[in-house]
Amino acid sequence: MKAKPFGLVFFPAFDWAISPSHPEREERLLYTRDQIVEEGLLDLPGIREYKPRLAEIRDAERVHIGVPDIASLITDAHLVSAGGAITAAEAVMKGEVERAFALVRPPGHHAMQVVHGTRGFCTVNIEAIMVEYLRRHYGIGRVAIVDTDVHHGDGTQDIFYHDPDTLFISFHQDGRTLYPGTGFPNEAGSPRAYGTTLNLPLPPGTTDEGLHYVLDEFILPVLEDFQPDLVINSAGQDNHYSDPLAGMAITAQGYARLADKLKADIAVLEGGYSIEAALPYVNTGIILAMAGLDYSRVIEPDRAGRKESMSGQAMAYVKALTQEQRSLWRDRERLGREAAARAGDFWQRRRGIYYDDSGISEEREEIVRLCPNCLGYRTIATSSEGYGTGYKTAFAAVLPRRACPACRAAAQDAVRAEKQRGNHRHYFIQDWDNDLLERI
Amino acid sequence: MLLGIDVGGTFTDAVVVGEDGILAQAKVPTTHGNLLAGILAVMDEALAGLEPGALRRVALSTTIVTNTVVEGKTDPVALFLLPGPGLDLAGLIPGAPQRLTGYIDHRGRETAAPLEEEVREACRSSGLELCAVAGKFAVRNPKHELAVAGWLRKYASPEHITLGSAVSGGLNFWRRVNSAYYNAAVWRTFGRFAAAAEDAVRRRGIVAPLYILKADGGTIPLPAARELPLEAVFTGPAASVLGVMALAAPAGEAVSLDIGGTTTDIALWRDGAPLFAERGAKVSGYPTAVRSFWLHSVGVGGDSHVRREAGEIAVGPERRGPAMAAGGPEPTVADAMIVAGLADFGDAGKAAAAMGRLAAPGQESRAVAGEVLAAAAEKICQAIAAMIEERAAEPVYRVEDILHGVRPQPKAVIGVGGAAAGLAPIVARKLGLDSIIPEGATVANAIGAALARPTLEITLRADTEQGYYTVAELGLHGRLPERRLSLADAERIAARHLADRAAKAGIPVTDLETVAAEEFNVVRGFSTTGKIITCRLQIKPGVTAAGREGGDW
Ligand SMILES: [Zn+2]
Ligand SMILES: [Zn+2]
Repeated sequence: MKAKPFGLVFFPAFDWAISPSHPEREERLLYTRDQIVEEGLLDLPGIREYKPRLAEIRDAERVHIGVPDIASLITDAHLVSAGGAITAAEAVMKGEVERAFALVRPPGHHAMQVVHGTRGFCTVNIEAIMVEYLRRHYGIGRVAIVDTDVHHGDGTQDIFYHDPDTLFISFHQDGRTLYPGTGFPNEAGSPRAYGTTLNLPLPPGTTDEGLHYVLDEFILPVLEDFQPDLVINSAGQDNHYSDPLAGMAITAQGYARLADKLKADIAVLEGGYSIEAALPYVNTGIILAMAGLDYSRVIEPDRAGRKESMSGQAMAYVKALTQEQRSLWRDRERLGREAAARAGDFWQRRRGIYYDDSGISEEREEIVRLCPNCLGYRTIATSSEGYGTGYKTAFAAVLPRRACPACRAAAQDAVRAEKQRGNHRHYFIQDWDNDLLERI
Repeated sequence: MLLGIDVGGTFTDAVVVGEDGILAQAKVPTTHGNLLAGILAVMDEALAGLEPGALRRVALSTTIVTNTVVEGKTDPVALFLLPGPGLDLAGLIPGAPQRLTGYIDHRGRETAAPLEEEVREACRSSGLELCAVAGKFAVRNPKHELAVAGWLRKYASPEHITLGSAVSGGLNFWRRVNSAYYNAAVWRTFGRFAAAAEDAVRRRGIVAPLYILKADGGTIPLPAARELPLEAVFTGPAASVLGVMALAAPAGEAVSLDIGGTTTDIALWRDGAPLFAERGAKVSGYPTAVRSFWLHSVGVGGDSHVRREAGEIAVGPERRGPAMAAGGPEPTVADAMIVAGLADFGDAGKAAAAMGRLAAPGQESRAVAGEVLAAAAEKICQAIAAMIEERAAEPVYRVEDILHGVRPQPKAVIGVGGAAAGLAPIVARKLGLDSIIPEGATVANAIGAALARPTLEITLRADTEQGYYTVAELGLHGRLPERRLSLADAERIAARHLADRAAKAGIPVTDLETVAAEEFNVVRGFSTTGKIITCRLQIKPGVTAAGREGGDW
């Protein structure tokens, strides 16, 4: 039997920018387009190119709660990139292709469940929209998302922080040295989903050696344990040694070998802003690796003479971190029970969230009921203030999948009581079982 | 007076077109093995009684290149590649390439220089009479290809060298490699054919220039064709599409059907012009950069074999012989056309008997004929629908094009070819459209060849940040006069180079059009440091109106 082809959704959004000189501008994937067209990749019999579909607002609202609403916060480009991720995923689910890569922009992994604006170049989370689309339409259960962008995928982490069926693993440049400043080992999920969020903050300057150590010694074994139905790769490319926004030292070969070992069912582009020196080569490498083709000749013209190994000290740090996370993964059930016991009936956290692209700062308080019968409803009280957007505030209750009747009732009561108090401007109930975002 | 000759798989057709239309036409069996014999025979027949000196042009659509490739009679080619980093093309291209050092990156910058020593070393081996040289991103800077070609001439004096950047100005190294290889591989055969054809034509007292039809529906003067013979591959379907353009160019969107003996070639039209294929043609299974009209072929024609399968009428794609009406062994679509009163040839009684064989219990032969024609038309309709779907699913790279992408919506069906009169109206009725069967529909191909206009295209890419521009097809890589450049400026420069190139090739410049253009700001460190502008211009393919012959020429 002939092997199935590899699917590529390429959408460089040549007419879309956050602003003319922003890293997310028309030019970002120009040189990548040049390289993949020049290589003839789109003509290879083993590669099938797809046109992205347009996602619907309801696809976004399955995941997000926009304040005041998602439609007014996004552009059509966001619906194309989210739609592109869905197109890639459907090609895999329908068995038309073996695996697929949504090489699309704008990106999404910094977009959290509640959205007030654009942060880290992201407004809606295109992987999360895709994952929940697959759960709704294809009955997918366990999903693993491996975020290989240099920045912590704090949006994806936020959306799945309470979901034990979604394993989120992110390696990134240490948050003490880079936006968004999060992604530490102690962010491991709320008590009922403890250990299904795993963070690996790597030291600046990490090379292919360090990255592949973490991959071989931690990420791949954890995936083996978790046994997901689908593996998703949030395939940011800004760990490249030439990236202007970060300080890591990964090569195109490092990324291609990662794609080869990870064997993700679906990859979705995230960041990557070295648009000339990295993206053409990294994308060619990832495409070839995912398509099962020889990528050994994909070498950046300026790579000669770069050192590949890491300092002994940095490597020792990476090894210790891996060790620490390995024990967290091993002991996750006990640690989750202990966290639940410490929290009592409700687990809660308060955070300040900052939207660098929109000039907004948000205050958010999240409370999860640790229900004995289900994953527990949660409430989110949020308010934000920003240039041009003024003061915005909302209160929402979220009903997780398979919520128990008691939680359903309690969530309704909480929102109605809050509305009575009138402290907020907008009130929502997001019901994951019934695929509904209701305004109260 | 224009002479057009189309060499087909079965027949070679000729027409002479004058100001008032077709003056003469002729048809002879194609002489496989010696195409020229048939060409000269059909030409003599068509020109009998006419004054050869009055011809202003002779255009030839020939299968010489296609046959050379299909029959595997190509010459061996020494292939030199400058692939740099990226996909390994081993196994994906014909021949055994010699890999050379040297790389030009996506901005046309040299990141590694080629080595004369390597080429000199390679020249020690034999078999370097025909060479092809292709470098990745040579369309952004052809200097490495030119250097390697220079060294090859110095150390091996080949008969011919094809450069990848000369066969196409567009991105796609893989396709340019295949195009350059096959161009060199058919160069000698085409050259011999061209010399013999020219000689024979001149001996008949014809002084008019000879043109060769290309797969993109344009013609080029014979001397220019000798440098790029691969362009003359697959010209048969192009000739027929041009025939439609000459006979019944649709004003808006349409679908044209060339319904022959065993196949129907389908083309979609917009604004009076047929759509081009998004990608180049395949030669011997290898994707090339040869541009062509976008055609789908479905196995339905007048001679298609008809039978019942599990009670249902099935049509084609096989041919078991001619219609039973013409002495064939099995029922055909043409038999159904005769019974339905849509065609009139052969023995009507035998056609009725053919329908009788297919009849369901109690079914009359006219009803059977209707069922057969409906089944044949249905296959064509399905192929048209698939083409429309395929076009709508073609990837686009701008948000605007996703939101407002247009689906083809044909408004009319145009039928040409032997079986068009019988089937095209039924297809049209099924689609709820009007059908047009133009006069002369059965020799549309030769008319297309006679009237086809010369075409030429060039691609200009300007990079104002680096201060240079390239026109790959001309091997040009020059400084920009100034750093400020608009798309309109770039189009003006391109038009000038296209006019120069046309003049050198002896082609009149009419109807220039920009077929693709894009413009990007280059931003470095939060400020705009330049622009990258690419535009592709062409002399539009089309037909010269016979009545205004003097005007166009
Ligand atoms: Zn990033
Ligand atoms: Zn509950």
